Amino acid sequence: MKDRTSLTLSGTVSRRTLMMGATAGMAVLAMPRVLRAQEKPTLVTSIRSLSNPYHAVWKTGAEAYAKWAGLEHVTLVSEGNSEKGIADIKAMLAKTGGNMVLNSDPNDTPDARPIVEACAKAGAYVVTQWNKPGDLHPKDFNPNYVSHIEFDGIESGKTIAEILFKTIGGKGGIVALGGLISTTAAIERKKGLDAALAANPDIKLLDFQVANWKSTEAFDLMGNLLTRFGDDIKGIWAANDDMGSGALEALRAENLAGKVPIVGVDGIKTAVDAVRTGEFACTVTSDPFWQGGMGLAIGYNAKIGKFDPVKEPPEHREFYGKAVLISHDNVEEYYKTNVDAKPEIDWNDLWGRVTGAIRT
Amino acid sequence: MTIHTEPLKSVSDIERTTLMTFLPGRIATVFGGRRWRSLAPLAVLIVLCVLIAIANPNFIELRNLVRLANSAAVPLTLAMGLTFIILMGSIDLSVEGTLSVAAMVVVLLAANDGNGNDYGWWAVLAAVVAGTAMGFVSGLVQTMLRIPSFMATLGMWFIGLGLSVYMLGGSAIRLNDASIRDLALTRFLGLPLAVWVATGAFLLAAIIQYHTKLGRHILAIGGDEDVAKLSGVNVVRVRITAFALAGFFFGISGVLAAAQLGQSHAVIGDGRLFAAVTAVVVGGTALTGGEGGVVNTLIGVLIVTVLANGMILLGISPYIQQTVQGLMIIAAVALSLDRVRLRIVK
Repeated sequence: MKDRTSLTLSGTVSRRTLMMGATAGMAVLAMPRVLRAQEKPTLVTSIRSLSNPYHAVWKTGAEAYAKWAGLEHVTLVSEGNSEKGIADIKAMLAKTGGNMVLNSDPNDTPDARPIVEACAKAGAYVVTQWNKPGDLHPKDFNPNYVSHIEFDGIESGKTIAEILFKTIGGKGGIVALGGLISTTAAIERKKGLDAALAANPDIKLLDFQVANWKSTEAFDLMGNLLTRFGDDIKGIWAANDDMGSGALEALRAENLAGKVPIVGVDGIKTAVDAVRTGEFACTVTSDPFWQGGMGLAIGYNAKIGKFDPVKEPPEHREFYGKAVLISHDNVEEYYKTNVDAKPEIDWNDLWGRVTGAIRT
Repeated sequence: MTIHTEPLKSVSDIERTTLMTFLPGRIATVFGGRRWRSLAPLAVLIVLCVLIAIANPNFIELRNLVRLANSAAVPLTLAMGLTFIILMGSIDLSVEGTLSVAAMVVVLLAANDGNGNDYGWWAVLAAVVAGTAMGFVSGLVQTMLRIPSFMATLGMWFIGLGLSVYMLGGSAIRLNDASIRDLALTRFLGLPLAVWVATGAFLLAAIIQYHTKLGRHILAIGGDEDVAKLSGVNVVRVRITAFALAGFFFGISGVLAAAQLGQSHAVIGDGRLFAAVTAVVVGGTALTGGEGGVVNTLIGVLIVTVLANGMILLGISPYIQQTVQGLMIIAAVALSLDRVRLRIVK
């Protein structure tokens, strides 16, 4: 009984202290908000997770830009949870009073709308990448929604296919490993492969199989494909590098590594190393370092009035970025500038990698 | 009066038996009852092999059989651990987390491209110990905190995954230690070393199940925990040991997976949990516990592996492969479980 009383009592005390503390805290928070308006804006990066190499590099790019520009930078991670992603951004908008620039890779397509609406309402400037609904356009949220950036999956799928065909001498059989069937990237990259196949009638697609973006699944799948087609397989097209590297290990187990060229997309380190040793013919990358930094740079320059989004042409508002091809010819150069050292990017060249407006 | 009640009673008994339980029950009785049922998974495996071999003779090529054995190595080792847990009537969902921790430990301690460590085979030992420790903790959480194994191991799954993500910094780290990679690349008597390791794991599991007290106690707990307790089985100790044992097998499979892929990333275990549970159940081990065993699981793993291999050999479109897999799982379980004796289906 005595225990109980003291417990209740401590509850009351702590509640009162909490209330007082909260009031004081709010007062403090309210004061600097006025001051902050004249302060430099905060740069905010919103990405899916840090558990994949792609977004890990994205973050280093963002930090590199923030350092170059001398601005504060915050990274928000949604962990694949759309609601968390949006809530974190709203919390950040409240904290900065809208004085921020957001570069976001929305977790899912529909997320882009609430993110953009919240930013526009708070007066923040936002750049989105990869995912947005077809009917959401930067021009509808002038000037806050500055740009949307994507990379052309059809072009990537086609480019690597053409290099693969050239490597195997323009004729013979290949197998293809696709990504998760329902994803846009998987569908687009396969379209690119199909287009390249149509233009090269001497190349035969022996089989198209799906390994769901994963090296483990590609490893097992490749063993089975080797049984079915054996030496007829002259090359392997993979919709991403992770699957390509799984296929490479399956080849290695059969002493075929380096004899059957592989191509992939993403430019992960394993793949770049494999391009160096000749086990991969090539890989293409959207360059997450550039995406992480330049998304912020475009938003920040709009925010400080270096350019007016309203006056920019449509291909600066919704555009495909230029993917970087890493093949035998440039891999040593790429390794020196991107793997051994941090890449040097001209952050003033905002539109240098625009390849055209996004198809609708 | 008494003469009439007897036949009446038996008629109502037959009426209560539905067609679905009656027919297979009859067929089973004709072929020798329970004996036939316990052989059903083996029959499924043989029929599957014959059908695939007829459709594509490449299937029985030596090279393909070696590949089959190779892709069964990791699932088999995993499923060995899981079998003991399912035999107890529990479940271990920490498969993917524990596997990824083991793969992370081996890669980070052996020669790799992320840090300067190079402890060689000590790394393998450490990985297996880490796996065992994860299982041990699962067992402790389940028995001491009295949390159902489903939740306890679900927690361990995420803890393991989080730990790997943190330690690997989100990226894939390459395994450069040649002697560990030899597990996947070197062959002895035509089979990769990984296959021999998996065979060893199977033999060890078989010995534990059929020739040790632990194995019998696990079965007893799965059959009826209260009865086991009353007969003097130390249930808490057996449960903790079983979970640690499962972790030991998961640790070995983590090492094998890292050796096969030549790298480790946090999601190296993705999809392995369902594959392992499927293999155990298809092999004829009941999810309710107390029935089945490691030999069943061996057959279950082979069925799942042969099926995946066969679908590629037969050129089945990737768009419908999962559907075929689902149908085969239902068919295999329908044949192997003695549903006549099931009074309730949950």
